[in-house]
Amino acid sequence: MSTQYSILFKQEHAHDDAIWTAAWGKSEADGSETIVTGSLDDMVKVWKWSDEKLELQWTLEGHQLGVVSVDISHNGAIAASSSLDAHIRLWDLESGKQIKSMDAGPVDGWSVAFSPDSKHIATGSHHGKVNIFGVESGKKEYSLDTRGKFILSIAYSPDGKYLASGAIDGIINIFDIATGKLLHTLEGHAMPIRSLTFSPDSQLLVTASDDGYIKIYDVQHANLAGTLSGHGSWVLNVAFSPDDTHFVSSSSDKSVKVWDASSRTCINTFFDHQDQVWSVKYNSNGSKIVSAGDDRAIHIYDCPS
Amino acid sequence: MASFGWKRKVGERVSRSVVRQFEAEEEEKAEDDDGGSREEEEVDWLHAIKRRREVLLQDCAANSSRLKDEGAQLAEQGRHWEAIKKWDEAIQLTPDNSQLYEMKSQVLTILHEVFPAVKAAEMAVKFQPLWWEGWQTLGRAQLNLGEVDLAVRSFQIAIHLRPSETSLWQDDLNWARTLQKQQAATKEKIRQEEETKNQLLHAPELEQDYDFESDEVLAACVAVAERQTHYEELRRTTVVIDAEGKIQNVVSGEQGSEDPAAPSKEQFVKARGL
Repeated sequence: MSTQYSILFKQEHAHDDAIWTAAWGKSEADGSETIVTGSLDDMVKVWKWSDEKLELQWTLEGHQLGVVSVDISHNGAIAASSSLDAHIRLWDLESGKQIKSMDAGPVDGWSVAFSPDSKHIATGSHHGKVNIFGVESGKKEYSLDTRGKFILSIAYSPDGKYLASGAIDGIINIFDIATGKLLHTLEGHAMPIRSLTFSPDSQLLVTASDDGYIKIYDVQHANLAGTLSGHGSWVLNVAFSPDDTHFVSSSSDKSVKVWDASSRTCINTFFDHQDQVWSVKYNSNGSKIVSAGDDRAIHIYDCPS
Repeated sequence: MASFGWKRKVGERVSRSVVRQFEAEEEEKAEDDDGGSREEEEVDWLHAIKRRREVLLQDCAANSSRLKDEGAQLAEQGRHWEAIKKWDEAIQLTPDNSQLYEMKSQVLTILHEVFPAVKAAEMAVKFQPLWWEGWQTLGRAQLNLGEVDLAVRSFQIAIHLRPSETSLWQDDLNWARTLQKQQAATKEKIRQEEETKNQLLHAPELEQDYDFESDEVLAACVAVAERQTHYEELRRTTVVIDAEGKIQNVVSGEQGSEDPAAPSKEQFVKARGL
């Protein structure tokens, strides 16, 4: 086990163009670790992480335009991807085959997120509606209306109670999933919110915005618990570690920063990418971090334990 | 003192506007020096140079912004080349201002200077890769150059930066993708044409021996003739995409297809002559 943060592995030229999104999943069946990436080159790629290196398992063709967002179901069996071609596709990670293709309608599919029970997929839309698709049915089952602007980012709370959405005008909405009611509307940032994430205990919500700040909210009381600065440009992605102690952020200033959740300070900065870093995620036990960006590279970092 | 001349250093690579500004400042300074030559010995040169550099940078920014506005006014009046000249001067002063390149690209597009327009827009996104309007302008310039695939890429980047901008989806990306489909359909048609032509020249029916009394010969002739008409048809049609984005092969009008029509008539006459 390592005692300090370090870069472990670099996959250069992982795609033919900028990588916009990445997800890290673990198979319940065999415990293998999978990374899924989506790129401007229209491709979704599935990588196996084993023996401290990445191995390309599948190149999934089907999207007609750039892939904006990917997510992996919690049992590690299915990946969802959304693209600028307005389709959400579901892929079987075992066989590399497409399971379903759902037409989200023009400009109605941006970021995708599996619900904690992996039965639904939430996606933001142009008119401020959060559309919930059934994984089994492949159809839109219901929608939650924020009455706001274009929704860029979406997150389910791990306890399955809440759904948070971040809009292009900087407004954050928190829904109660059971009742479908809008609980809180927070005027979080003055600029687009590219990413948000709940802490594993579902108590905190962390948001990332083009204004260069990261904000932390107490979910229950909808209080602002902290504002973090440090990135020199847009903050593009945030992700919480599974043990609740840290979170990680990536930015168009080409850096990846690891933050301590209790002291709210930056404890490590990786400056290994050559260009904007669009996506950053923890693995299932929090020992590794993956990042990917415009330089077409996938990086894996080691975290001290 | 007068023998110390900056002019000697002026080569082709130094812009005239910068030189002019420098000379003007030099003169100003000379006048100042006349007044206060007594204090000359006490000047802290190290810091003076630093300060001068800052002042110079400030001047550059102010002058550049003035030139930018002047250029914009000229462009509004339709005096496009004059506007570009102003902006080029401004670019000399502030070479990393992407707005100048972006505006220059728009005006170059109006002037049908398609390649310089792409070059200018490329500079704009190089200095400000997060500015979606720069990518939109680059995409439009690339479209004018016929680089449809590159344009689709630029529009996608613009959308990724600002997905709420509906004009990007509805006008730019949609239009570029329509052109992309048309290009693909045209390529496919050319391929088909080539294939049919090849089969005409090396007809498989002619490769075997026939019993001249049988119907086989007739069948082979019919097949060859059919292929010939198919080829003629392919050559007479053009790929058109209608309003709903469906791809159709349309027979081109008489005036438009004089060249391909001419050999076709000839062959028709030949066929009748047989």
